[in-house]
Amino acid sequence: MTVLDQAGAPVAPAAAPRRRVPLPHLGERGGVVAAFVVLVVLASLTLDGFATWANVVNVVGANSVALALAVGSTFVIIAGGIDLSVVSMTAASGMVVGLLFAAGAPTALSVLGGLAAGLLLGVVNGVLVSWVRISFLVVTLGMASIAASIALLVADGSTINVFDLPAFGALNTFATGTLGPVPIVLLFDVALVLVAAGVLGYTRFGRAVFAVGSNPEAARLNGIDVRTTTLAVYAIAGLAAGVAGLVSVGRLTGASPQIDPSLLNGVLAAVLIGGTSFSGGKGSIGGTVLGVLFLGVVQNAMTLADISSFWRQAVNGVLLILAVGLGLVRTRAQRRERAAARAVGSGPTGTSGASRA
Amino acid sequence: MEIANAKAALSRGIALISQELTLAGDLSVAENLFMGRLPGTAGTVSWRRLRRAAAEVLDRYEMPVPPGARVADLPIELQQQVEIARALTVDPRVLILDEATSSLSEAAAERLLALIEERRAAGTAVVMITHRMNEIYRAADTAAVLRDGRIVASVPIPATPEPDLVRLMVGRELGDYYGRRTHAADPAVALHAEGVAAAGLLPTDLQVRAGEIVGIAGLSGSGKEVLGHALAGAVAAGGRLVVGGREVPLGRPTLRHGLGFVPEDRKAKALLLNRPVAENLALSWASEVFRLGLRRAGHERRRVAEAVRRYDIRTASPQLPAAALSGGNQQKITIGRLFDLDLPAYVLSEPTRGIDVGSKSAIYALLREQAARGAAVLFISSELNELCGVCDRVLTMYRGRVVAEFDGDGITEEAVTHAMVTGAPAAA
Repeated sequence: MTVLDQAGAPVAPAAAPRRRVPLPHLGERGGVVAAFVVLVVLASLTLDGFATWANVVNVVGANSVALALAVGSTFVIIAGGIDLSVVSMTAASGMVVGLLFAAGAPTALSVLGGLAAGLLLGVVNGVLVSWVRISFLVVTLGMASIAASIALLVADGSTINVFDLPAFGALNTFATGTLGPVPIVLLFDVALVLVAAGVLGYTRFGRAVFAVGSNPEAARLNGIDVRTTTLAVYAIAGLAAGVAGLVSVGRLTGASPQIDPSLLNGVLAAVLIGGTSFSGGKGSIGGTVLGVLFLGVVQNAMTLADISSFWRQAVNGVLLILAVGLGLVRTRAQRRERAAARAVGSGPTGTSGASRA
Repeated sequence: MEIANAKAALSRGIALISQELTLAGDLSVAENLFMGRLPGTAGTVSWRRLRRAAAEVLDRYEMPVPPGARVADLPIELQQQVEIARALTVDPRVLILDEATSSLSEAAAERLLALIEERRAAGTAVVMITHRMNEIYRAADTAAVLRDGRIVASVPIPATPEPDLVRLMVGRELGDYYGRRTHAADPAVALHAEGVAAAGLLPTDLQVRAGEIVGIAGLSGSGKEVLGHALAGAVAAGGRLVVGGREVPLGRPTLRHGLGFVPEDRKAKALLLNRPVAENLALSWASEVFRLGLRRAGHERRRVAEAVRRYDIRTASPQLPAAALSGGNQQKITIGRLFDLDLPAYVLSEPTRGIDVGSKSAIYALLREQAARGAAVLFISSELNELCGVCDRVLTMYRGRVVAEFDGDGITEEAVTHAMVTGAPAAA
């Protein structure tokens, strides 16, 4: 099998009669990339105010919370799990930040407190999943409810306004300020994404995350500590929720115990659209960024086009099913081709393209 | 006659009792017994009639089980009996037993054979697929010998003596297919097990010298796979294990202590199927690929390229997922990544299962190469011809114990088969 498929997945010894250019990353998510490009071009041509720097800043700001959560969730989903509690943990750690500010704590302490709160909740998830071995769906569904209640209980359901507090100034600058024309939060997002991608791609831990998601028994027999790895990914998701809580408080100038019920769907949809798979062992931070951007830009374009926000979730849902469904159709076609190639030759390289040409 | 599916077979009076249980663990014994034909009218179930019918069946087969018990709560032997009772309740005209006694105790196996006797007297045709000689001579009128996917002989029982039957089961000459031994084994013991025991494995002593290939033969359920798992730390086990002179804790993976393990089920236990070939190889190389937790990408790439060449792994690119490769090439990954580490000892369980002849031959050559380098190799296999062709010594297991040992010219398929099916070496 030399020409793998129409989507241009890895290809071909040199002797192949027909040769495609290998597109290693585009291959997986080629459809989403193409759709994204078409969307941007169309929106630029038809919508006033879309192709402006101000709008870019706007999109980045509006999606920073989702991006942090999606990056954290990517670790969990690659490791074969899922964390349904990230949004609730965001609200809870945001409330901790708000309380600390309101109590007069200095900026650094409030920030660390928020991160610690997220991390702690994530570690609780991780311990219950990896050591007590309760299903991750049960644990994180439970934590979603518990953290939501914590967020309401700590301030009796009220929003904590921190706008006037001097210690809050730095956090506000972080979330809404700019460095020249560049939003500080954009620089932070870029750093976050690079660190996360580096950890997944270039560390022992990153490899362990993929291995545990792909085949925990094979990982274990090769000396990977499956339980610690599992615990760590939920801790990372919790920490990411802490980060999202900070960004959220910084942007809103207050800590609200209310949860946007569509946020979790959006985060998970973005991760899946980015090519990370619920079956584990497959995915990337780059894909997740693409997924968040895609859904964020769609939403932005809809707002600019004056389409009712009631449509937003339906559009997200349709895009999710389309992206994942089309991806599945493609992998199945690839699998059939490989099987056919094996039946004809002795291995994936065994036959030339001649059998097909 | 064409039989499209299991239901069609059942309706024609053909029932199968297999070694693999096909019960619904969360349902009751009664529901399992009458699965697919629960008593009742118009789509409803009459629980009263079901309970009564089930109680009758259980009574008839002297099974000490309440009809309402959940099947998964029963010990495996009782589950097997439920499976048997279910097949018998349809009053089959043809009854097929596929290694049905493998998880039964002697007493239960005896009871099953008695039931079969009863069935036969009532006019049921019985096909019994088994490895156990004594069962054949206890119950059968005719033995058909299946080899290489064909029936090669059909002989009357008990008129055919046991040694003749064993010869028919083996019947092949060995060529140079397995390679030849070219080195002398080191006297030093590289793999030393003392009283290693686990579920399905009685305390077992074992010594493999450096440079020696020791084979483990045995029927399914004899404990040979459990032995591999116990030594490799894949299951909880007790006893003492020394590899290359150093004590190795049991019950935890042993790779870092110098014992490489190739499990019998490569897809379930060895491969990251949706990950690239390169990552599958590097999975065993953690101590060399990572420094201070960071991946040495260049070093890894070079080692992967070298291993792909050295172990002749046929893949269009090391970035293809392992699932895209043929079984033989997948197995070259799981074996090559360990052999590349030049470990002092290896345990390989069914390393040639389900792969093509060319890859098999390549794997035998690699085994020899490792032994010649001074590794101790434990080679667990269900294929007698390869065991006899490759190994310096062969141990035979039966019901969780090593019951016989063969070496040199004593390694013959007849002798090993005899010990596998009878649990004792043939009287000289």
